[in-house]
Amino acid sequence: MTIKIKLKQYTNGKILNKVSRKIHKWLMLFIGIQFVIWSVTGTYMVFFDIDYIHGDSLVVNHQDKINPHDIEYSLSTLFGEYPNAENIRLSTFLQQPVYRFKVNTQSGPVQFLLDARSGQPLSPITELKAIEAAHYYSTLGKVKSVVLITDNPPFELSPRALPAWRINFDDFGAPSLYFSQSTGELVGKRHTFWRLFDWMFRFHVMDYEDGGDIGNWLLFAVTFFAILGCVLGLIMTGFLLIRPTKKLVALHKNTSRGVIK
Amino acid sequence: MKWIRKFHKWASIVVGIQFLLWLLSGIYFNLMDATKSKGRTYQARINYESPLVGDRLVEPSIVLLKNKPSVAIELIHILGEPFYKLTHEKALYPHFKNKYTLVDAYTAKRFLIDEQVAAEIANLSYNGPGEIFKIRLLDPTIPDFPKQQNPTWEIYFDDEIDTSVFIEANSGRIIGHSDAHKRLADIFFMLHFMDYGNTGSFNNIQNMFFAIAALWLILSGFMWTIHLGLKGKYKIRH
Repeated sequence: MTIKIKLKQYTNGKILNKVSRKIHKWLMLFIGIQFVIWSVTGTYMVFFDIDYIHGDSLVVNHQDKINPHDIEYSLSTLFGEYPNAENIRLSTFLQQPVYRFKVNTQSGPVQFLLDARSGQPLSPITELKAIEAAHYYSTLGKVKSVVLITDNPPFELSPRALPAWRINFDDFGAPSLYFSQSTGELVGKRHTFWRLFDWMFRFHVMDYEDGGDIGNWLLFAVTFFAILGCVLGLIMTGFLLIRPTKKLVALHKNTSRGVIK
Repeated sequence: MKWIRKFHKWASIVVGIQFLLWLLSGIYFNLMDATKSKGRTYQARINYESPLVGDRLVEPSIVLLKNKPSVAIELIHILGEPFYKLTHEKALYPHFKNKYTLVDAYTAKRFLIDEQVAAEIANLSYNGPGEIFKIRLLDPTIPDFPKQQNPTWEIYFDDEIDTSVFIEANSGRIIGHSDAHKRLADIFFMLHFMDYGNTGSFNNIQNMFFAIAALWLILSGFMWTIHLGLKGKYKIRH
């Protein structure tokens, strides 16, 4: 009696295993390539430290202090000349004290950079100043090329940061630093590993349009079938681990159909 | 070919369950509501529209002289009033360790984000039906925002989704909101990133190990599929 039930379970198991194998095989023909993409891109993202990816090691975070005695251009004078100044901050640019602020105009916000000693505007930043800043605020070597970007920013630069100088370095990982032409601030840093990371992420979430949209239909459909394929695979793995006893298999082999009733 | 099959089977034993967890959490991210999962269910936009009284402002140079050396001084608004935020040590990002002093821009007096101020900021940032019932000062690490490295006020609201508002204690910055939706999403992120220490990162040893195991599983499976294809095993029987 027990042998009969066990044999029935064994036969059912064999059918389940066989069906799982068949569907798993066919599913993987269609979505196997996405599994490869997930795995390769996932491994890349896991192995590269995210702070390194973000280029934190490219820049030098100087702690230059403001000398209060240098500030000869007062804030009240600034308000006299720029009554609508907003978001005002006083810090240093290449070790010189500077004011930075924003004025909202009809055509959008305009950024300012003033010398805090004389009140003279320092922007737009010249190419030479941008290169000087790039050297001062980074650990990077020789400058390869300099480009002024005023419209159509590359994927890696926010349109809000425009206009900006792009300084390309002849260094490990082809790093680029972006400095705002209107404030002199470092507004972006990128190297090959981050650019690659961006691509990896887009492939990982199957967003082939604008990057970073996890809620897309393609991803849902593929993941749905991937879960099915994975569950079927796990069923087969389960059969690998819970094997019927050899005795039972031998018994089954020697019994022809219809004998056990 | 025998070895490829063996690899595939062994790798499936090692990484099979985690693989299913990656896929299930992945489909959760695909379906989740982005606003809710970021804890923004009851987050209000704050617009400070208070006019500055320019001639009442203390000059930044005077404020700088009276305080520890600073790398930056910024005119900011807290609860509609102007303050100077002095940065003594500047980190690369706001959530990294920064050293600030807040100073009243009209009186040059030091200003602290105490329990009451934190509660008022939280109330401005909150548009749900709840009321504050508890306030706590937390030292990092903060479970809801594991990357935040500065002391933080947590303000609890008694709404149906247990909203908490997080305010940075040394700057008054609103770090964010957290609620039941975000905490659920965080569990799925923890599973996806294998971040069982809640560090807010996916760069951990267990994840690296399983990533390699998964790579074995996938590449061996992929080669198996190609092999089956070449051998003509993909045929539709009639």
